[in-house]
Amino acid sequence: MNESLDNLREEVVGRIDRSASEADVEQLRIEILGRSGTLTALLRGLKDVPAEERPGRGQQLNQLRSHIEERIAARLQALKAEKRAQALSDERVDVTLPGSRRERGHIHPLTLVMDEIIDAFLTMGFEIARGPEIEDDYHNFEALNIPKDHPARDMQDTFFVAKDRLLRTHTSPVQIRVMESRKPPLQIIAPGTVYRRDELDVTHSPAFLQVEGFMVDRGISFSDLKGVLTHVLRRIFSEDTAVRFRPSFFPFTEPSAEVDIGCFNCGGKGVLPGSQPCRVCKGTGWLEILGSGMIDPQVFRFVGYDPEKFSGFAFGMGVERIAMLKFGIEDMRLFFQNDVRFLRQFPTF
Amino acid sequence: MKLTLNWLKEFVELKDSPQKLVEALTMAGLEVESLAPLRSPDGRGEDWLIDVAVTPNRGDCLGILGLAREVAALRGGRLRLPATKLLPADSKAPPVKVEIRSPRCCRRYSASIVESIQIGPSPAWMKSRLEACGIRSINNVVDVTNYVMLETGQPLHAFDLDRLAAKRIVVRQAKGSKKFVTLDGVERDLAPEDLLICDGDAPVALAGIMGGRDSEVRAETRAVLIESAQFDPATIRRTAKRLGLHSEASHRFERGVDPEGTIYALERASSLLAEVAGGRPLNVIDRYPRPLKPSAILLRHQRLADLIGIEFKGAEVEKNLRALGCKVRRRGTIGFNVVPPTYRSDLSREADLIEELARLRGYEKIPFTLPRARLGGAKPDARLRWERAIRAYLAGEGLTETIHLPFASAEMNARFSGTADGRKPVPVLNPLVQESAELRLSLIPGLIESLKINLAQRVKGFSAFALGKVFFLDPSPRERHHLAALLHGGRERIGLRAPETPFTFLDAKGLVEGILERVGAAGRSTWTDSGVPPFLHPGQAGRVELDGAGLGYVGAIHPDLSEALSLPRFFLFEVDFDGLVQYASHEIAIRSLPRFPSVERDLAVVVDESFPAQQIINWIKNLRHSLIEGVEVFDQYRGAPIPEGKKSLAYAISYRAENRTLTDSEVHALHQDLVSRISELFGARLRG
Repeated sequence: MNESLDNLREEVVGRIDRSASEADVEQLRIEILGRSGTLTALLRGLKDVPAEERPGRGQQLNQLRSHIEERIAARLQALKAEKRAQALSDERVDVTLPGSRRERGHIHPLTLVMDEIIDAFLTMGFEIARGPEIEDDYHNFEALNIPKDHPARDMQDTFFVAKDRLLRTHTSPVQIRVMESRKPPLQIIAPGTVYRRDELDVTHSPAFLQVEGFMVDRGISFSDLKGVLTHVLRRIFSEDTAVRFRPSFFPFTEPSAEVDIGCFNCGGKGVLPGSQPCRVCKGTGWLEILGSGMIDPQVFRFVGYDPEKFSGFAFGMGVERIAMLKFGIEDMRLFFQNDVRFLRQFPTF
Repeated sequence: MKLTLNWLKEFVELKDSPQKLVEALTMAGLEVESLAPLRSPDGRGEDWLIDVAVTPNRGDCLGILGLAREVAALRGGRLRLPATKLLPADSKAPPVKVEIRSPRCCRRYSASIVESIQIGPSPAWMKSRLEACGIRSINNVVDVTNYVMLETGQPLHAFDLDRLAAKRIVVRQAKGSKKFVTLDGVERDLAPEDLLICDGDAPVALAGIMGGRDSEVRAETRAVLIESAQFDPATIRRTAKRLGLHSEASHRFERGVDPEGTIYALERASSLLAEVAGGRPLNVIDRYPRPLKPSAILLRHQRLADLIGIEFKGAEVEKNLRALGCKVRRRGTIGFNVVPPTYRSDLSREADLIEELARLRGYEKIPFTLPRARLGGAKPDARLRWERAIRAYLAGEGLTETIHLPFASAEMNARFSGTADGRKPVPVLNPLVQESAELRLSLIPGLIESLKINLAQRVKGFSAFALGKVFFLDPSPRERHHLAALLHGGRERIGLRAPETPFTFLDAKGLVEGILERVGAAGRSTWTDSGVPPFLHPGQAGRVELDGAGLGYVGAIHPDLSEALSLPRFFLFEVDFDGLVQYASHEIAIRSLPRFPSVERDLAVVVDESFPAQQIINWIKNLRHSLIEGVEVFDQYRGAPIPEGKKSLAYAISYRAENRTLTDSEVHALHQDLVSRISELFGARLRG
């Protein structure tokens, strides 16, 4: 009797371990443990076993059933692991293939630079003001202390769109408009498009971007102008940028200053290794980057401020020029052609 | 202003190297644009050519003398003027009379007469200096006038004395004189306010700009009248501007010439004429009815310190202002009374003197300070935030940002009128080229230009947007920010190649919907296909409105137009960005999450081709049924088994109750009711 159970165990365990699939195991489970399975039949036959043998027989059969169940569970576990291993190997990818994504658009380099300039000022507490691009003579010239028949007008060749209506030649009229409608303290930047009657070429454009800025309060001094502009230029370029202020002339500022930064191509030396003159700064070691100055008392009078009470500084910078210097772009026209081979070199948002 | 170093040294003591001098001038506001070695043909040794960019306020530096004064003030060298022959104050009545009839336009008119002139070439040293400085050598007399102009900044003009028939110089405005032939042979139309130099009644020169052909110095000239005058800058500028006649003389008169310098220039010229043309100088005739007397300016210590941010010692102020030629007198503890020299017409106010003192101290010696911060001053800029959000959104959707010049041709403006029909473009009265004779009405011409440039590079697709101003007349010029995009080809993928899905109308519309959603205005927008602009495909175009006001359009380019422009097909949209920003809101309204499940049921109907899908959605929404949570169209199908001229639309309707789980039968009844009403109302056939 025991011998036949041992045989059965051996046979069943052998078949379990040889099963090639979960289905085969299930088939076998039904065959042995199912309602009409071999072992089930034996268990059912217990009632016919003499009472004194029954407990021993019952224990043997139950042990066998547990054993078979364990082996089935183990086999299923093994089969699952095999299958997973196969799947893992089948699903292997080539990680050197290119990732797949939708192409994103690129942001124009002038916007990137404009944003950097704006952010440098916003973090210093400046706010943004805007004004019309079609201006009148008064706001673009007269109120900025550029009277009619003054040679300073030669500095800015003007487009006209109607009698006394012109395309603003700088963002400075925003200065006037803001001061006409508000009282100090003011710390404002005015970014926007300005126009000069220049043909589009490598370094000129009839329309370009400017950022005007000004600060008016009691007790603002030229040393404040130096401090603020140096700080901002180092934000825009790099913390170790050399900054130089030198006297210049703008009709709406007095004193006026042209601001230069040290040439990063030659490190401010004016010459490259091999004593070749630097092309970027034309051998001077400096790059002209913005115009600035203390707001002329005459301008304050035009907007009804008392120049004895208030003082302030103003400045203006060309975005294209800064972008050309920052990115090493040599041809202004690239900005307006929008050739994607050019634009793709700038980051997406 | 070009000059040579050796020439400058004739006017001022100078020990600096050329490089050091250039640095000093540049850092004092006289930017040196170039410094180049010069080989002098006369063997006077090495020389340097210096080109100084003189700003419009520094007319005094348009002569070597003025620059020498600057160098003396900056570097401390002594000024020295070349010796001149003192002209005789002849007791004899002068052979020429001078009369200033427009004293407002001519403060001083000095003249000298030089006889026994031998016209001929100038000596080599004079020629080479003139030519190095960009002035062509003509003959010894003309050359001397130019040479002295370069030295003193005082323009001179030589008249052939024998050809001044009346021997009476009259300075007057043109008034009745209509025409005048300048010495370049061009007949000039005169305006009544032009200032003329006349010989009696006959004009002989356009004052301060150019002499006349008929009194010009010729080979047979024996005696000359040299004019050395001061004219009103604005008068000279108006005439020079109007005639487009910019001369070395007008350039200087426009920027202000020292009326006290006319005699020295005459003396210098007479001396040189004696030297190089054998001339014998006669009388000086001088009319100076109202001598220039610069008024005193009060310069306050306190103001100076406040404006520059550092203290200046009284001694430094005095020394530096005197070095500039000012007369300085202490005024108690307040400051100084300062009288600027006549050659510095740019110094008329306290601020001008403060600039001079900062300049002479050196800007580099002024410290860097940061103004004390004011907290809470700056407001966040809503427009900037929206511009950045929309740029980021469109770039994320694969569109590249482009920037265009804001000009357009009349032809392109006539084709693309922007977001409203019939807008009148703003003309540019003085355009550079006809292609940019107007300001753009729309951003589309710029995008099309970029499409062309990129197609020439054989790109597969091009999707781009632009954010910028457009301009129109209403009836005075107005400007609005627009946002526009152009989609050509299909959206590109990075990675392994997959079949391309070309852009459709719905891709373009989807971008606009995305923008409306981004700014929180989607709920106020409506779409229509009526009144779409003529440049769009009439069957693939729509307009979008916000609260009933036109915002913009979306559509395919009209095939006639793409053909006329030799372009492939593309989609575009353009919206009024100012209008959009006006509605934009950052407010976020959060609803609590539903507690009971929703049930979704589909509805498919067969309708006419022309039936707008939105109509059923609007009808269901207008029911405002408390158990209908939402409805959307999710499919459109044409083709078998749907009959020709019809299409099938599929909608998903979701039902939900706020306070319980809806039963199947409840939803079934609701949906059946909805379905039968829709099929009845819209003549729709249900599709199984």
